Amino acid sequence: MTNLLSLSQGGMVALLVIFGVVILLELCYIGYLCYLRATGRKHFSLRRERQTVTPRVETQTDDGFALTTESLGDTKALGKGVMKERNIETVKKVQKVTKIIVKILIYIFLIAVAISVLFPFYWMIISSLKSYDEYALEGDFASRVSPTFFPQTILWSNYAEAFSTANLGTLFLNTVFVGIVSTILSLIITVLAAFAFARLQFRGKNVLFAALLATMMIPGELFTITNYGTVTNILGWGNTYTALIVPFLVSVFYIYLLRQNFLQIPDELYYAAKVDGTSDLKYLWKVMIPLALPTIISITILKMMGSWNSYIWPRLVANDDLHQLITNGLRDTQFNVYLPDGSIDQDKINYPVQMAAVTLVSIPLFLVFIFLRKYIMKGVSRSGLKG
Amino acid sequence: MVDGKKQWKAWLYLSPVILLTLVFTVWPIINTVRIAFLDDYTLMDDVGGMTFSVGVYNFEKVINYPEFLTCLKNTLLLTVITVPISTFLALLIAVCLNSIKALNRLLQTIYFLPYVTNTIAIGIVFSTMFSMVGTGFGGANPYISTAGIINNIIGVFGIEPVNWVNTGSTYWANMFVMCVYIIWNALPFKILILLGGLQSVNKQYYDAAKVDGTSRVRTFFRITVPMLSPMLAYVVITGFIGGFKEYSSIVGVFGEEMGPAGNEGALNTMVGFINRNLMSGSPREGIASAGAILLFIIIFAVTMLNMYVSKKRVHY
Amino acid sequence: MKVVLKELTKIFPGRTKKAPEVVAVNKFDFEIPDGKLVGLLGPSGCGKSTTLYMICGLQKPSSGKIFFGDDDVTELSPENRGVGLVFQNYALYPHMTVKQNILFPLQNFKGADRLSKSEMLERAYNVAKLVQIDDLMDRKPSELSGGQQQRVAIARALVKMPRVLLLDEPLSNLDARLRLQTREEIKRIQRETGITTVFVTHDQEEAMSISDIIVVMKLGVVQQIDKPQTVYEDPVNLFVAKFLGTPPINVFEGYVSGGKLFIGEDRVLDVDGVEDQDVFVGIRPEGFIYDEKGPFHCALRNVEVMGRDVSIVSTNGASLNPIIRSIVDADNKIDVSAEKVSFTLKPHKVFIFNKETEERIRFGKSEQNSQTSSKED
Repeated sequence: MTNLLSLSQGGMVALLVIFGVVILLELCYIGYLCYLRATGRKHFSLRRERQTVTPRVETQTDDGFALTTESLGDTKALGKGVMKERNIETVKKVQKVTKIIVKILIYIFLIAVAISVLFPFYWMIISSLKSYDEYALEGDFASRVSPTFFPQTILWSNYAEAFSTANLGTLFLNTVFVGIVSTILSLIITVLAAFAFARLQFRGKNVLFAALLATMMIPGELFTITNYGTVTNILGWGNTYTALIVPFLVSVFYIYLLRQNFLQIPDELYYAAKVDGTSDLKYLWKVMIPLALPTIISITILKMMGSWNSYIWPRLVANDDLHQLITNGLRDTQFNVYLPDGSIDQDKINYPVQMAAVTLVSIPLFLVFIFLRKYIMKGVSRSGLKG
Repeated sequence: MVDGKKQWKAWLYLSPVILLTLVFTVWPIINTVRIAFLDDYTLMDDVGGMTFSVGVYNFEKVINYPEFLTCLKNTLLLTVITVPISTFLALLIAVCLNSIKALNRLLQTIYFLPYVTNTIAIGIVFSTMFSMVGTGFGGANPYISTAGIINNIIGVFGIEPVNWVNTGSTYWANMFVMCVYIIWNALPFKILILLGGLQSVNKQYYDAAKVDGTSRVRTFFRITVPMLSPMLAYVVITGFIGGFKEYSSIVGVFGEEMGPAGNEGALNTMVGFINRNLMSGSPREGIASAGAILLFIIIFAVTMLNMYVSKKRVHY
Repeated sequence: MKVVLKELTKIFPGRTKKAPEVVAVNKFDFEIPDGKLVGLLGPSGCGKSTTLYMICGLQKPSSGKIFFGDDDVTELSPENRGVGLVFQNYALYPHMTVKQNILFPLQNFKGADRLSKSEMLERAYNVAKLVQIDDLMDRKPSELSGGQQQRVAIARALVKMPRVLLLDEPLSNLDARLRLQTREEIKRIQRETGITTVFVTHDQEEAMSISDIIVVMKLGVVQQIDKPQTVYEDPVNLFVAKFLGTPPINVFEGYVSGGKLFIGEDRVLDVDGVEDQDVFVGIRPEGFIYDEKGPFHCALRNVEVMGRDVSIVSTNGASLNPIIRSIVDADNKIDVSAEKVSFTLKPHKVFIFNKETEERIRFGKSEQNSQTSSKED
């Protein structure tokens, strides 16, 4: 174990250097602060000349105030707390150095955070391409002691193995199917409801809307228990796609979001359309939806991501081989190492294959994020403003 | 505008929402409260025609479970540790990010990345990073072929390898891993919200402070934090709510056993408790409902407390 | 504290790489005498705010130097310059009370400069008294009127006894009545403290009424620096003449021929020593004398009686403004039904400008007149 310390790999060295630099700079900064404290007084309060203040009162004001610079800062304090000339050269230097040091520290901190954020992804991808022996430092690599930061031999076969072991094909298809159907249905429902709440007048509108908003307060776990019974026993949807789709079609939050967006569309457009004899649905389709498109795209992406990441509900109602969704499949699958005779070694988890499976599950999300980042971040930050 | 036709149309547009909400939201609320107060209710027995007496048996049972107390303790610990740390870190990051120009967008994108990941999947990655590989963990002389990347990294600083998540790992080691993961996961949302808040602060306040020679630290505490207080309050409140509902991150790292092998359930949470009572071979809906209602009460109380505190301290 | 600007220039790069850069301030040379109140005046986008921010240190000049007294402060950041800045929308910290807002700058002092708590409070109350908000010390900015907020902002800028006080559009967020009141107030405060003060405004009346010195700017270039009355009575070019004065100056196309100034057919004035050329003629509204036999004829539109004065609205083919507004004494009996109206002109209220450069062309009599308001100080 102790020879873990002897590192040869470039990546590890790089990490070391970064940490080293951080610590070094930190020390420099502390030293600088001490220096300032020790000598700072001289620099910052150097009284080269007393500020010469000539009282300039020409008239007394109506209220009898005769405030001069003298009376404003009483004579005792005149040297103190007064913005006054300082040793400009020193101040200039200190100012510049402080600025640079602070900038450097900020960048180091931010980049260090970025590295910690990215590291799990890096490790996931890098591990997914290694052989088990290289990952676990077994077999041929027994003499090597440090982890490799880049695979010795890239093993794409891990992905094939992950795909077949976890039955990822079926899982992908199930998840995509459920995701697309529930997103489309959910969008239709959301748009119609948001339109009704934003544009139409009917009795009980505000009460109904408030009641819907109130349900957002209640944690979902409270619903799960009864819904589980309802879906499996009363509706008889156990192990069907319906059970995965229907209970989550209504999202009050998305209705709220879209309604707010619809409300921003001026009434005049609606009246103009009415004068032209446009029907409500046509107006909705031709005017409101295009104008609210960014929000609708945000909702679509977030809803899709929700389906992709859902775990508890699918686990409860449809966890058979035919309907299982990706997250559940991933968690349930055991990725074990094969023994030379082809049987499974129950003791050894094949981490590279597991990482390959995780990578495969994550890639669609990354792709969506890269191409639609704007909409996702907008949607999420909008959700932040509701509070 | 109010005419008969419109009324009819509005209700038509709303009918799917109303129908689905009645079935999957309103009824569950009523029913969950109902069965929580039916002694030892299970759906199986209900369908079988059994009748249940009304009482608080389920709640008594829940509170007297040692397992439930573990869950409560874990939930509280995870929340109390992760919310302040992640909020402070997010604030620091947001302020730093807001003060730079170069790399700003790239870093912003990187920081947001954990938000668009599958909690379970990346949980598995974290578990892998903290895992030792070998055999005989928990025994006297385990054979370890690699200590895992995290142990390797801390080894650089001379720290002995720790058994984080494998058989025989300690509770606090497990807790540490969970906290790291939860904070890592919680940062993107908080950074996004706080950064948005920072960008909406009028730059003139900073100019004014600058002209007055205000130090960075003082500017941060006297101007930035008060100005951001509505966003901070929001982030803390949602953080607490999320913290009390912590479940899938633990499933990601430890699996549904909710703990390292040999110590299953050590890290179980409130939601885990509810789900376990539902998922087991013979589901006990009564107990689960009582747990869910207790969870709701706790969340509600903490949220109210948060709101009360922030009302006093938040400047809007 | 004397403030000296030497060839101060600020160039903003274009939005995109191809877009042209914008010269916000072009070679601004000026020495602000100690203890004066200086108004930077110009239409929006003329670079006056940029100049103010450069004096303050919030923006860095592209070239040129800024001196406070003998110190070159060009490279210094604002906190090291000793300036007080009052923002257009005041930038009062909304979460702090008036007292906390005023104390805030004092609490920034470190080391030997730091005042004791009681000294700080005393200073804060003194300054609050000066701007007459000492009874509002425990309120939050949101509970104050615009005028009161303005005073708090001034107090916050004054409390650290800055070497230079800078005001960015100090009155633009106030309603008309408060504006009159507040500008007197600013004048008073500046006099009592004697702090060199620079303020920015687009309102010529405001600048005229309180400044000791006015700087008129246009598109980043200084047009004229002088006492308010001088700038009004002796503008250097057409822009300055047009920018100052309410009602605005009447501008005509005209020409000089044989020492006489013509507007259209009318020979309106003798201008000795001016070469024959086409010119712009600017006549202040008060430069007209109602005179039935006067040389300058206009079509009468309307007569507005405003108590002491009478405003005659007329038109003339050579006028560049749609109407000519002239203000004459109410004693004049004006035939409202007449179609024509004739005027004699007061020579010192008539300015002629070169048609190409729009620079002022001086002629005999106005020279004499301008000597009454000498440019010495």
